[in-house]
Formats: sequence, structure tokens, C-alpha cells
Amino acid sequence: MNHTNGSSDALASAELSVKLFVEDPAAVDLEELIPVFHRWIRESSLDGELPIDVAGYAHVPKGPGVVLICDQAHYYFDERDGRPGMRYRGRRVPRGSGEQGITKAFRCALRAAALLEKDPSLGKRYRFRTDTVELGITDRLHAPSDERTLVAVRPAVAAAVRSIYGKPAKSITLASGPREPFLVRIEMAESPKVETLLEQLDGVAP
Amino acid sequence: MNGETMTRTWSDELSGKIPEVLGREIDIFETQMELRRRGEVDEKLFAETRLRRGVYGQRYDNGHRYDGERNRQLGYREHPTKGVETVWDAPGMVRIKIPYGAMTREQMDVLAALSEDYSDGISHVTTRQDIQLHFVHIEDTPNLMRRLAAVGITTREACGNSVRNVTACPLAGVCKTEAFDVSPYAEALMRFLLGHPDVQDFGRKFKPALSGCSHEACGLVNMHDLGLIAKTRVENGQEIRGFEFWVGGGLGAIPQPAQLVHEFVTPDEILPLSQAVSRVFARLGERENRGRARIKFLVAKLGIEEFRRLVFEERAKLPYDPRWTSYLEGLPQQWDAPHRPGAPLDLGTNGQYSAAFRAWHRTNVLAQRQPGYSVATVKLPLGDITADQMRALADIAGQFVGDNVRLTVEQNIVLRWVADADLPKLHAALEAVDLAEAGAEGIGDLTSCPGTDTCKLGIASSRGLTAELSKQVATLDLASNDALKGLRIKSSGCFNSCGQHHVADLGFYGISRKKGNRLVPHFQVVLGGKWTENAGSFGLATLAIPSKNIPEVVKRVTSRYVKEREADESFTEFIERLGKVEVKSFLQDLTEVPPYEQDPSYYSDWGDPRVYTMDDYGEGECAGEMVPFVEFGLQASEREAFEAQLFFDSGDLDKATAMAYQAMLTAAKALVKTEFYDITDEPDHIVGEFRTRFHDTKRFHDRFAGAKFANFLFAAHEVHGNGGRQDLAKERVQEAQLFIEAAYACYEKMSTKQASGEMSKEGAPA
Repeated sequence: MNHTNGSSDALASAELSVKLFVEDPAAVDLEELIPVFHRWIRESSLDGELPIDVAGYAHVPKGPGVVLICDQAHYYFDERDGRPGMRYRGRRVPRGSGEQGITKAFRCALRAAALLEKDPSLGKRYRFRTDTVELGITDRLHAPSDERTLVAVRPAVAAAVRSIYGKPAKSITLASGPREPFLVRIEMAESPKVETLLEQLDGVAP
Repeated sequence: MNGETMTRTWSDELSGKIPEVLGREIDIFETQMELRRRGEVDEKLFAETRLRRGVYGQRYDNGHRYDGERNRQLGYREHPTKGVETVWDAPGMVRIKIPYGAMTREQMDVLAALSEDYSDGISHVTTRQDIQLHFVHIEDTPNLMRRLAAVGITTREACGNSVRNVTACPLAGVCKTEAFDVSPYAEALMRFLLGHPDVQDFGRKFKPALSGCSHEACGLVNMHDLGLIAKTRVENGQEIRGFEFWVGGGLGAIPQPAQLVHEFVTPDEILPLSQAVSRVFARLGERENRGRARIKFLVAKLGIEEFRRLVFEERAKLPYDPRWTSYLEGLPQQWDAPHRPGAPLDLGTNGQYSAAFRAWHRTNVLAQRQPGYSVATVKLPLGDITADQMRALADIAGQFVGDNVRLTVEQNIVLRWVADADLPKLHAALEAVDLAEAGAEGIGDLTSCPGTDTCKLGIASSRGLTAELSKQVATLDLASNDALKGLRIKSSGCFNSCGQHHVADLGFYGISRKKGNRLVPHFQVVLGGKWTENAGSFGLATLAIPSKNIPEVVKRVTSRYVKEREADESFTEFIERLGKVEVKSFLQDLTEVPPYEQDPSYYSDWGDPRVYTMDDYGEGECAGEMVPFVEFGLQASEREAFEAQLFFDSGDLDKATAMAYQAMLTAAKALVKTEFYDITDEPDHIVGEFRTRFHDTKRFHDRFAGAKFANFLFAAHEVHGNGGRQDLAKERVQEAQLFIEAAYACYEKMSTKQASGEMSKEGAPA
């Protein structure tokens, strides 16, 4: 495997993901999310996405959950490791700089999380915490899951987090095993509201 | 990342790990993709090409989707299509053949990674021991194939009009009732038929299966195009191995039981006899009517006696192939070996093991014929397994069974050669990753095809129904009833039977019915099929029931069976005794659909809240595209000419010249093969036959240029190499292109002549 020399290019070459965890895992009912995702397709709720289909995996424990399949992204409400949350995963996304890519992935995950928080059919039971976020790169060829990749991408991740949150991360650590896609866990000292972060992102270059 | 690493590819990364043949095939497919993107390959031809590489279409890939209120056009970018009405950018399915279901830990690891990298994180086990990945973009498929090839897996001929995965009993080699282990014969049949020239020109798909015995379900031979059942016989005091040789079974809309070609075929004859069957099917099988193109229709049309005669006549004519018997040399006494020493397990008295372990042990563990070992079944819900689970299972296999892992046609995974003493630890390890659910291969272990979730042909949601029925079976605890626990429930999204509903005790297949001016999803209820005896008999189609009433059907039918069955009466016998009239009357009230205003839930399908519609029903790709083999040959020659040009552009003149010559040979061979099926790959043979059949008869002549284009081939054939001369290489590349154009023109003339001949025959007075 190849390790990256410069973080920006490494991140630009890859498919990025961002996952936000729900505050109350017990409130989650995957099956009630299926009609919500179908409605997002019908109402074109996600600007800039071409939604195609909804895949339901509620029958699989700790699995991908419910997936909104788009042309250039998958939006998972997944339960990986038993920790439910909204995960945006870019697919075939046009390349940008590393920091821009991270910001875009955050924006997409936050936007989907905000939609769930506001969804009238869910009775405000879905709230997301933002003090722990997972950022992934699904590119085993250029970003294997190890410390060297972490070292390579950490500056861009740190810079993006600072611009999104307005504060530095408390920690950025490797969260994946060697056979898994590269994943870092970003810990923040505080947990601003999803809407607050989205508003802050309005001031960050797209 | 610097420039060097940015351009690094999976080809570089896996260099030296991909077998040369597979690597070349994948490179060729990538070139074919490029040619299609440029619009230089016909869409039907490309569709069949990608199907034969396992790259399948998926629902909504025609660029339309019903969103619950209206049919909406999906705004994909403009590209050439990847098949008729198949949008290039629309995600599709990749089917990965796992011959007789045997997987290594390394392969499991790669499958897990591929599901994460290119799909949605799920590997789906099919009813034919394949793995399917959904929502895959076609651009990703060459690298996906390379990563598979590096661990010895090919997707070649997983779809399309070709020989599909060779399936076999997952217990082969460890089963107490088998005649002998069929695994090495399944492996040999798979290797022999994969890419064999005699299986490239079928009118439809062709599914082989092997079974170790007649009475269990095992390989489901009775419903396969080609089926082998292991037998032994004693001759001169020695036990001889052989196979019952069956053909023409199949499910689909019109199920047919297989018919016996020969009661005892020795191992040295199974490959040539399969080859002979393939040739007869290729030559005489239906081509125009795709609905009647499977071999079962040919067998029915000819009658088994005539079919048998033709097969043995063909067998006698086959040119000798050393591969027929070479696999038998050095065949190991035992195909796979235990990973750990066998050791007994003392289940002891109550309290020693948990209730969960005991339940799992009762339903998911089967003692092997080898003392001290068992097979443990990992029950997968709807055949789905996550990437994390697949990796964990590979690790668990490493700890307990090594590479002794197989997929099953009931969409599960079995771990073979588990030392009995390890079973409690194995259960604990599986439990930790949510793979220790009890109730395998019984009423609580339902199977289903993808149905409307992803299949273009799906009419109703078979997965949605199966998920619902699974919950119901668990809630009613049907598996604890001795009369019911062994029953099979199987659902298909349409009549094509991918869910194998015909051979289930309770089978369902999706249909649609109208109520007023609205459509309602329904399932046809098929009762009393026989799973054992290699899918021994097909169930009784009874009546169409709204999808939402199917759980009540299961409840009512099982309850009546429990109450009214006679001593030892099987479910199949019970349904036979009841008869169609009684079953219909018994379920008739469930056919009622309330008006929409009263209960709109009937007008949506399980797991899909949209108002039900047939608008998303698409053109299926199961039948593949009917493309004459000559067109594949001409397409290959075009691709080689394209590669010759690339070599020339990169300055590799020797390779450019050689590839241009090869392109002409390929085109010439394609034409010759229309008349002389056994043309070899020898250049002298091809050029000689081409000269006699097409040049000397002037059929290849151009109206104005005469023999000019044929002479390009003859000249290139006489002089190999160009000594690095740029002018000659350029000329040869151009000549190759012109030769291929002439070959197309010749083929067109032949087709026109044939068509007009047929027309005049049809038009002639009787």
C-alpha cells in the first residue's frame, strides 16, 4: 500500500465519509426511517444530490441500517459497532483540496442530520451530538488504515475541524483496524448544535 | 501524495498476484468499456459482454423511478448506454461466482473490503452460492475484478447466456449419507467449462449442480440444467465411482424436472459428456423465443431418448481433450483437511451450557461422518452479511476451521470441520458478532431473491415479505413445533423462481392484481414442493393473495397442518391429500382486498411505503442479449485493433504489428467459425480455412477492391514482425482496421443472404 505524502492530495483522491452519532440510541427505529428517506427522494430534500433508491438493512444487526443511495453519495443511518448515527459517504465526488473535501463531507452529514432532527414524523427523538465525529477515507490503495495515513492527513483534518467548529479538536485518533477502511475519531471539547455548525459552515468556503 | 503515488493503481498494487489469464481478461473488459464509452461498440453487444463478466443491471437503471406520487426521470449525466435503455451511470449489481460455495479466509477478507469500497457494505449470498454486491458503478468493476482475481476469484460468466456458477452440496466430503465427495468433480467441471468455446453460443443460461446423494436436498439436481448425483457400484470386487447424469431440469415460470441421460457415468466421462450436452444445446436450442430457450425446452421438444442419442453421437465426434481426465491424476483421498484435531464434546447435564448454545447446537450443528467433527451453520438474515461480520467470520474460521467455509443455497454460510469440543467457543465467538442465531435450515430460516429491492424484473417485495414472515415465525415460535420445524418457506419477487419457491413447502412468488383503478401487490401461493430428494417435486400453485395477507396464509396453513396431519404425513403429502379445491376454499377469504380508502396499507408493499406500482418494472437481463458468437469475435478483433493503435502510439512497434495481425486473425476466425465450428486458434489453420472458404469463393471480396483486404491478412501471415519499422507498423495497424471493416461487410452480406433465403422459403407456396 502507498502512504500519502501530502494530506490535501490524499484526501482529495479519496471517498470521504463523516458520521454523527445520535444522542439517544434507544430512540432509534430503523424502520420508521425508510419512509423518511423515500420522502427525501420525492421532495428533493438534499440539494445537489441525485437520490436514486432506499436500501433497508434493519434485519442485519449493527449493519448499514437504512441507506439513501445517491449518484454521488450514500447517506447511511447506520448502526455499526452498535452506535447509531448518520453517515455521509461521498462516492465519485469531484476532487477538491483536502480541507475543502472534509468540509463538504461535514456539511453533507450535518445537513442530513438536521433534516432528521426537524422531521415532523420522528417527533424530535433524533438528536445528534457533535463532540464525537468519525471521518473516514474509503481508499485502501492510497489511504490504508494505519498511523502513517493518520500522520499524513491530520493537518488537513485539524484545519477543517477548526474552521467548522471555530475551535481546535481535542483529539484526532485512528479508529480503524488494519483491514478496515481508514477512519479517524475526532473528539471536541463541546457539542454545538447541528444547526449551529451548519450556520457556521455558511461562512466557510464551499 | 506525489505524482508517482497518485497514479498508482490496483493493477500496480496487485502485480504478480493476478493470474495472467484473468488479468488479461479484465484488461480486455476495461478496453471494451472504453470502446463503448466512445460509441464504438453496439449497446446490445456491450450488454452481453458485461453480463458475461458478471456486471448486471439493477432496478431503476433505465433512468426512471416511481417516487410514490409520480414517475420521475433521474437526472443522470449524458453518456452512451451500457445496454438497451440502461444508463451508464446508474449503479448495478456484480455477481461473484463462488464455485460450489467454497471460500477461503483470504477471499472473505477481500469480499468484505469490496462490499465497503464499491457497494453499500453488504455481501448478499444468493440461492446459487454466489455473492452479489449491489449499487456498484461500472467504472469500479475492473478494479473490483482485479482484487478478486488476486485471490483466485473470477466473475466471468456469472451472468449472461453462459454456464453459471457450478453449485454443489455444502456438506460434500463431510456428509454421512453421500456416496463420495463431489467437490473435486465440481471444481473440475467449473474449470473445464469456464470460458470453453463450446459454451459461448447458448441461447440462454445454463446451470450445473452436483449432489452427493439422491435423497437429501443437497445439490437440487432435479431443478438444474445439468445435474450429477454421486453413485458407486462394485465391479470385479472393486468400488467404482460414477454419477447419475441428469439434464433439463429448471424452475422459472414453467418448472420441469430433470431427466436421466445415463444412470452411471464414470468420472473420466463427465467432462466430455457435459461438453457434448453443451454442443447439442448450442446447436439446437431455441434462440428467437427467449422464454423457451432454456435446455429444458429442448429436452422436452426432442424427448429424452432423442436428446440422449444426439448427446452420445456428439460425444463420439469430440476431438480428444487431455483435460477430460488430467484432473483425476493425483486426486487427493480427501479434498479438504481438518484445521484442528477432532475431539468429542460432552454436552453434559443441564446448566453446563447456556440455553442459547443448546438451541444453536440443536438446529445449527450437524455431526460429520468423520468422528469428532461437526458442521456449524451461520444463519444469515435474508442472505446478508456486513463487511465487519465477514471479516470477523474469516478470523473465526482461522481459529476453528481454516479455509473450510462454504456458502449454501439457503443463503447461509457453513463452517466445516469444527472439532466438537470447540463448538461452545465457536458459538461464543459467533455470538459476539451477531452470527449465532439458532434455527438454521428450517421454518425460521427463510430464503428470498432480491425481488423489487434491486431486481429489474421484481413484481413484489420478496425480501420485504420474507423479513415480515421471519418476524412472524419467531413470534409464533413455529420452529419449536416438531411438525413444522423442518418446513421451508421461500419467496421470489416474480415467476422466475430465483427464490426457488417451487421446491419449498410454502412458496410465494410476486404478482400484481388490480382493485378498481389501483394496483395491489400479491403473491401466488405455491404449496407442497419437495426440498429433499434433490428438489424432488414442485409445489401446487393455488391462488393469488394480497401481499399483506400472506402472513395469515402461513399462520392458517401451518396451524391446519399441525391439527390435521396424519401420522408421519409430510407437508407435501398433506397438501396433496387436501387438494387444490380445498386449499383454495380454505384460503379464499384472504383474496379480498379492502378499498383503498378503507385500508391503504394493502396498496403498498412490505418494506416499501410508496404506493404500489408496476412502473418500475424493467427489461430483465436474466436472459442476456442474444448476440451471435460471430459478433463477439468481430468485437474482439476491433478491440485488438484498438490496442494495436495504442501500442503504436506508445512507440512499441513490435507489439503494434503483432496485435494488428492478431486482430485480423480473430476477425477471420469469427467468420470461419460460422461454418466450421471446430476451427482452432492455430494461425495456419485459420488462414487456410479463411482462404478456402472466403477468399477463393470471393465471398470476402470487395465490390471495387476485390481481394485487397483478404491479402492484408495473407501478407501479415507470411511475414511476422516488422524489425522495428515504423512505416510497416503503421501500415499494419491501418490494414487491420480495413480488414475488420471488410469482415463486418462480409458478415452483413451473409446475414442478409440468410434472411432473404429464409424469407423466400417462408414466402414460397407449400
